[in-house]
Amino acid sequence: MRAYSADNEEALRARTLLKDWAGEGFLTGAQYRHMDQDTTCELRRTNIFLRMVLFLFTLLIVGAVVGLLLQSQPGTQASGFLMLFFAAVCYAGAEFAVSKGHLYRYGVEEALLACSVGFLCFGISGVFFRDGDRVLNLVVPLAGSFLSLWIWHRFGLFYALVAAMVFVVWLPRYWTASPGAQHLIAAAIFAAGLRTVMTIRSRNCVEYLNEKYSIAEAFLWLGIYLAINLELSQWNVLTHGWSDTRNISQFAPTIYWGTWVAIWCLPPVTLWRGLNRKDRFVIAAGAIAILLTLVTNNLYLGWPRHSWDPMLMGALLVAIALFIQRWLKGGAEGIRSGFTGRRLSGKDKQWMNAGSTAFSVLSQPGTTMATEHPKSQFGGGESGGGGASSDF
Amino acid sequence: MTILTRLEQWQEQGILSREQQLFLAGLTRGEPYSLFLELNILLYAGILLFITGLGWTVSTWSQQLGDVMVIVVLSAIFAACLWYCFSRAPAWSPTEVASPSLVFDYILYLGSLVWAVELAYLQKRFPLLSEQSDLFFLVSAALFFSLAYRFDNRLVLSLALSSLAGYCGLTISHWPSHQDSTYRQSGIIYSVLISAAGLALQRRAVKPHFLGTYLNIAANILFWAVLSGVFNRENYFPWLLALLAACGACLAWGILQRQFSFVAYAAVYGYVGVSYLLLRTLHDETAVLSYFVVTGVAMLAMLIMTARRFGREA
Repeated sequence: MRAYSADNEEALRARTLLKDWAGEGFLTGAQYRHMDQDTTCELRRTNIFLRMVLFLFTLLIVGAVVGLLLQSQPGTQASGFLMLFFAAVCYAGAEFAVSKGHLYRYGVEEALLACSVGFLCFGISGVFFRDGDRVLNLVVPLAGSFLSLWIWHRFGLFYALVAAMVFVVWLPRYWTASPGAQHLIAAAIFAAGLRTVMTIRSRNCVEYLNEKYSIAEAFLWLGIYLAINLELSQWNVLTHGWSDTRNISQFAPTIYWGTWVAIWCLPPVTLWRGLNRKDRFVIAAGAIAILLTLVTNNLYLGWPRHSWDPMLMGALLVAIALFIQRWLKGGAEGIRSGFTGRRLSGKDKQWMNAGSTAFSVLSQPGTTMATEHPKSQFGGGESGGGGASSDF
Repeated sequence: MTILTRLEQWQEQGILSREQQLFLAGLTRGEPYSLFLELNILLYAGILLFITGLGWTVSTWSQQLGDVMVIVVLSAIFAACLWYCFSRAPAWSPTEVASPSLVFDYILYLGSLVWAVELAYLQKRFPLLSEQSDLFFLVSAALFFSLAYRFDNRLVLSLALSSLAGYCGLTISHWPSHQDSTYRQSGIIYSVLISAAGLALQRRAVKPHFLGTYLNIAANILFWAVLSGVFNRENYFPWLLALLAACGACLAWGILQRQFSFVAYAAVYGYVGVSYLLLRTLHDETAVLSYFVVTGVAMLAMLIMTARRFGREA
């Protein structure tokens, strides 16, 4: 069922770990070279930058080809059929690129798969769509979510799972008009998905799949959280734009206050599970959820926001980090309960260096001072900004 | 074959010692599990939130707090941060130096951001000072460069480069209305200046690991400046030549140094500039789409060849 063989995926994982260990000095150069020779695999990879550019150009080509062919298909239905045909062609192209070209996270096959999902949805809309036909409108997100899930399962692309989750968010709109019920249905679907992933993880101990399921679990925890946090949904960029106006009357009081309790209960559970399993992605999901709860709590309760709230939140985060670090340092060799604050992987440093460089590029030349932005006041990264060059 | 089995095999073959095998197997299983990245993200997010709240509070409550109070508090935070860093920093070294503690880099970053907030406040409150914004940018850049090199801090280096960009007159807020030759010139001078400085410092082995930050920023600003010239209706030809030269240099650098972000810059910026010139006279939809198909395939083929030959490592 998976596009890549277990041997190849294990070999890729081994190569990645060896490179990391050699970079950290855990292996000598001679050891690394010897071991690296034992982990050859036939998959073709490339670095992240070329991967992104290859993805972009593949999208451009496919888009232009479809545009050319659609020029001669004026009817909506004919265009729909053509789109469905292209969805199949793109998917077949991706399968071919993987099976014959041995491409692995190469950008090209990823763009083809992304196009296949897009064309499927537009194709179904074109072929079957009639105004007011709610059942057929349900088919589009359903088809999109199934194909995305299949792509995630077969190719292991985490963003395909995210796409499937986004499609799922649209499903409840066709079952009920009640906003509260829509949130609860979406959360229930994510919870069912989470339960499935957790069951698979508990039974499946294959190492190379662990990261895939770990990311899936983290996104599903986050998905449940986002679905039940009604205050976040009121800022829904896609449907309502960023708005500060609260409209809690659309939710039944039981649902509204029930979700308030839930947004306080869910993050600790997520964090506990992440820490218990030593799962980086689930820990991150729990931490993000806790932050969002702190940010939206005042909105839930209708309390005013203060200018010093971010300061307090920042101080709290720093204090937590320092407390954890001190606690870890207190253990033998800086280890407590299986955790350490020491860096054990070169990847951590790479992430931080990449983050600071990306951040530098993004903040250039975003340097403004108060005199250039009379309305924006000052601070938050002006005069250099540190990435926080926006107003607040 | 799993990595744990492989480690056992390598140990049996004598490639790894028993201690190494046990240690690496432990790392594979997450024993111990490192929270290094999580702690760093917490600190970074904490500092950014703190500085955002500080700026917001100062701007909202400056009337009630009074100028003296605001300036004293901000100066005190800045001084405390500097005192902390100078009192705990190891001796300066031209090579990469590890931070003495987890929080050290972030205290320095906090101090630098507080300085930026304080300067912005002074400019806002005292109009006479706002006329000296160039000087403020230059002073800030000098301070941030000194701190970045003294304490080996990339985050502060990025602030230094931002401030220098401000001194050169490069601001995003000016970009749409100042797409003139002066603005373009500033961008090019800035890019050349910081590239040369970064390369010279690297040659002298002074914090050579900072070079990537310099060159990534320089490349992006240079391409933006040159592209804005290409987008001109008149006299665009020299800019086209400049764009092609910049793409060639960037591509060569990226391949030689195996820094593929530069290959990506050359491909994307070059394609955008050349396509703009070729397509601006074309109005036929079929011709435009055909152009994208043909050139897209050509670019894809070229990039795949580059990736196969030079960029295999993920």
